[in-house]
Amino acid sequence: MVPLSQVWTVASYVIGKKLKGVKRYPLVLMLEPLFRCNLACAGCGKIQYPDHILNRRLTPEQCWAAAEECGAPIVSIAGGEPLVHKEIDRIVEGLIRMKRYVYLCSNALLLKKRLDLFKPSKYLTFSIHLDGLKEEHDESVCREGVYETAVEGIKEAVKRGFRVTINSTLFDGANPERVRAFFDEAMRLGIEGIMVSPGYSYQKAPDQEHFLQRNKTRELFKQILKDRKKSWKFNLSPLFLEFLQGNIEYDCTPWGNPTYNVFGWQKPCYLLQDGYAKTFKELIESTPWEKYGFRSGNPKCANCMVHSGYEATAVNDTFGSWRGFAKTVKATLSL
Amino acid sequence: MGKEKKVLSGEKFVFSNDSQKIEILEAAFDYRGDVTLELVQGQTIEGYLFNRQLTEAPFFVEMLVPGEESARRIPIEQICAVTFSGKDPADGKSYEAWKAKKEKERREEAKKIESEMKQAGLLD
Ligand code: SF4
Repeated sequence: MVPLSQVWTVASYVIGKKLKGVKRYPLVLMLEPLFRCNLACAGCGKIQYPDHILNRRLTPEQCWAAAEECGAPIVSIAGGEPLVHKEIDRIVEGLIRMKRYVYLCSNALLLKKRLDLFKPSKYLTFSIHLDGLKEEHDESVCREGVYETAVEGIKEAVKRGFRVTINSTLFDGANPERVRAFFDEAMRLGIEGIMVSPGYSYQKAPDQEHFLQRNKTRELFKQILKDRKKSWKFNLSPLFLEFLQGNIEYDCTPWGNPTYNVFGWQKPCYLLQDGYAKTFKELIESTPWEKYGFRSGNPKCANCMVHSGYEATAVNDTFGSWRGFAKTVKATLSL
Repeated sequence: MGKEKKVLSGEKFVFSNDSQKIEILEAAFDYRGDVTLELVQGQTIEGYLFNRQLTEAPFFVEMLVPGEESARRIPIEQICAVTFSGKDPADGKSYEAWKAKKEKERREEAKKIESEMKQAGLLD
């Protein structure tokens, strides 16, 4: 389960912003301290750069400054593979000192060997990329044997008392029964919860064929989440899960998960790259937000239902009004 | 221009008017390899063009150049030609291509990537 202190931090942060009348505020900073990865997944649009870009790193000081500047209570460290960054331990340590809840996203290839760099803390969660059971995951990451290595890493991290979640991206052709079996298997590993999102085409991902369309996404999630098992825990807002099944209609709030990387603050979201701002303030003030999201009619957003665009909307709904809170309670109790 | 990014690799465009310049610079922003800008003073700059402001003043592009820490901002009136000089790093790495490979080829490729990663210090 997500610690109560984290729920409380997020709730009071959102309510505080609402009371101050702040219209656009960040919830999760998507921090990409590097683009270099030790895998080359076809669905990933984050690593197709020349070598001199892949060799660039954000310094710990730049990472802390970005977290300070935007003020989001949660920092998701993605990339690239963060464990390849030589100063990842310092980056994490500094963010924890700032009392940010850090989700370190990793493919876990280096996890077992790098675990000594970290100390278990309620502020630190390893969010391990697993797209399914062995067959599906190894296919998704375009390399055999990755699933087994990741599972070993997860077991070791759990054994040593770290918070561990898995994050899964589901692509077109996912088999609901296999996904359900995968959730059973993941929970048996002793993880805290599952984060799941439909894959959506990064503009630059080499594979553009296998991303889900909106209706298919809803159908798939309905099938996966029907008669949801009590043993499955999700590290996601209950309302986001309702949204994925088509039970609630939301629009995207891309400023909820702003992305900072070696180019600066990315406009408008984690997936699209429509330019960069030098500061978070400039990002918020200069991005034409009305041009993005499902309702904008922007074809690039037409089928997108991803976590990084829509979960902030769901969280905002939960803590933004008594009605939203009541919906969340209802969705939680119906599990 | 109507060309896909794969076709752009190796192509050079000398601008004949402003609208073509904007179109090509937009394509250069979209391109995942390095590009070379030719400036009116005769100088050339090669690097990764990661940002642009082409629809409102001040008009500029921003580039990260190998070996330089900070980005360079180049006013677009100084640019007279663009060459898509670097190769497209996304080329030939599709999921389909991976699936089409035989089991043995996949294993061989996985081993090859693994040993490259180890050599680069990205895997223990
Ligand atoms: S809907 Fe939102 S998250 Fe999705 S691509 Fe558009 S702006 Fe990005």
